Amino acid sequence: MKSNQVPSQDVASGASTAPLLFAEDLWLSFGGLKAVQNFTLGLPRGALYGLIGPNGAGKTTVFNLLTGVYRPDSGRIVLDSQELVGRQPHEIAAAGIARTFQNIRLFPDLTVLDNVRLAGQLRASQRLGGILLRTGRQREEEATICRRAFALLELFDLQDRADTLATNLSYGHQRHLEIVRALATEPKVLLLDEPAAGLNSREKQELAGSIRRIRAQFQLAVLLIDHDMNLVMEICERIAVLDHGVMIARGTPAEIQHDPKVIAAYLGCSEPLN
Amino acid sequence: MTKDTPAAVGSPPPPSRAATFGARAWAVSLWPFVAGVALAAFLYFTLPSAIGPYYLRIVVDVGIAMVLAVSLNIVSGMTGQFSIGHAGFMALGGYTAGMITYYGSILCWGTASRHGGFLGVGDWLFVVACVVGGLVAAAAGYMVGLPSLRLRGDYLAIVTLGFGEILRVVLQQTNKVMEDAAAVRASTLSDWIPPPVGGAVGFDGLPKYTNLFWVGVFVTMTVVMAYRLKQSSMGRAMLAVREDEIAAQAMGVDIAKTKVRAFVLAALFAGMAGGLFAHEPGLIISPKDAGFQRSFEYLIMTVLGGRGSISGVMLAAAILTALPEFLRDFEQYRLIVYAFLLIIMMLLRPQGLFGIHEIWQIWPRRAGANPKTEAVAR
Repeated sequence: MKSNQVPSQDVASGASTAPLLFAEDLWLSFGGLKAVQNFTLGLPRGALYGLIGPNGAGKTTVFNLLTGVYRPDSGRIVLDSQELVGRQPHEIAAAGIARTFQNIRLFPDLTVLDNVRLAGQLRASQRLGGILLRTGRQREEEATICRRAFALLELFDLQDRADTLATNLSYGHQRHLEIVRALATEPKVLLLDEPAAGLNSREKQELAGSIRRIRAQFQLAVLLIDHDMNLVMEICERIAVLDHGVMIARGTPAEIQHDPKVIAAYLGCSEPLN
Repeated sequence: MTKDTPAAVGSPPPPSRAATFGARAWAVSLWPFVAGVALAAFLYFTLPSAIGPYYLRIVVDVGIAMVLAVSLNIVSGMTGQFSIGHAGFMALGGYTAGMITYYGSILCWGTASRHGGFLGVGDWLFVVACVVGGLVAAAAGYMVGLPSLRLRGDYLAIVTLGFGEILRVVLQQTNKVMEDAAAVRASTLSDWIPPPVGGAVGFDGLPKYTNLFWVGVFVTMTVVMAYRLKQSSMGRAMLAVREDEIAAQAMGVDIAKTKVRAFVLAALFAGMAGGLFAHEPGLIISPKDAGFQRSFEYLIMTVLGGRGSISGVMLAAAILTALPEFLRDFEQYRLIVYAFLLIIMMLLRPQGLFGIHEIWQIWPRRAGANPKTEAVAR
């Protein structure tokens, strides 16, 4: 279903205050189900925003739209003045959006190192002849990729497990490896899909610290989905709330906590208290 | 290039120019080829008198099977695309190479028999023919690779199966081979379309250039290529596609390009192996060599060896090629044995004999080995 084409507004075009990632009026439906309606979000440079909502609210679908897994029925997505709608997921990854997955999707039978090193192919300039001959330049490039991968693994203290198969890592380490792998693509925007799922409270605290640290170190904009309200309220600067594909609220954590529509959506009040 | 990465990620000093481009770099680049060719030459001069023609033939067969299995492994083992048309690429390359040597020899020297000795002019015509056969097969690999972008699993298998079977039927409808220079001179256009490669009886009369040396050279090329590919960014993209297409895309892997590249590469080497096969003494390449039974044999080699394990696949190719020769009396049961072998493998060791590891990686790692230095040293 094509919804009405919204006239493009001037928000994203060139102004110095333009957000790094800007999604405007995204619509997506699967048959009769309107999965995402009128989703608009501006993510400034260096921001750490949260996206929350009850199960099935469409949070992961928004990630899938932003990363090109789904193509929106209408609307536009702009990263750093590049239009992203209609681009392939790998092109969007190259443009600078990296993500983690809610249900971990590592490459299970590759080593930890190879999971991270893979991202090197994005910017590698290798040709078949160079690979066949293993030229000096090719080896130099591979060595650089490898050193960078180790530097990233050290962020989460995974460097000693570089030769372990990803599938043999503990659950917590797998979650960490997903983040490291996403960072290896040198993103401008990092989308974290429930990174705290299944972690205990101490691990969640560590994760909160890690996310902050990563953001500062790599100058990333981060968009975080999580069900753990303590985590989201603690680290996010602004939060958007989705329910049934509609953004029902947005604001600072304090505003969100007291928003009656949010409370209704989470606690199941039949009519919003407004 | 990756120069402007976040400063926090430590960027070590770049290696000196000498290490990158000097004589040592050339040594690293070329030593496997030199070693492989030297070994091939050594075997060529010593082995025939040591083991006699019967076993020699088996060794040559094993070599050709290795090229085919290792190249198929690029598609099925590394990239995870199920292909049972590999013999089709081989036959296409073989027939193409055969056309070049047979009619080329007749045009140049008036006869299709062998010309020149070891490394003589005939040998080089043969090598060029094999390479051209590989390129033609690679073009076909590109065409077959395209549907792989939309199909997966069983459906892709049917497409690749169809390719081999269609080729087999088409080859059966070809014209008969022109006997000699006089026949070529008297030929009209209708004798050349479809190509005069012998129809259902096979392409007989090819000069038999294939020997241990050339097989060794092509095995070296294929194995070094496959191994270096596996160690490269391009190869890791293929492995990622095998593991999880969605995650691979999210990491910036161009799935379409990667799959087609795998098909083209595999077909290239299969086509060259076809050239060796067509010119092997005592063999006549015929349309049934494009059929699924042969494809199936190579597939079993990759399954048995382990997906992505180059050395494992080479070992499997050696075993599965040599075994039927030693069990000649049980020839008719061979396919039953294969089927049983597959079932047992699927039950006991679905990842293949060596899984994703190379043979030398299955032994316990040396105590205290530092993974970092090892990885960087690679």
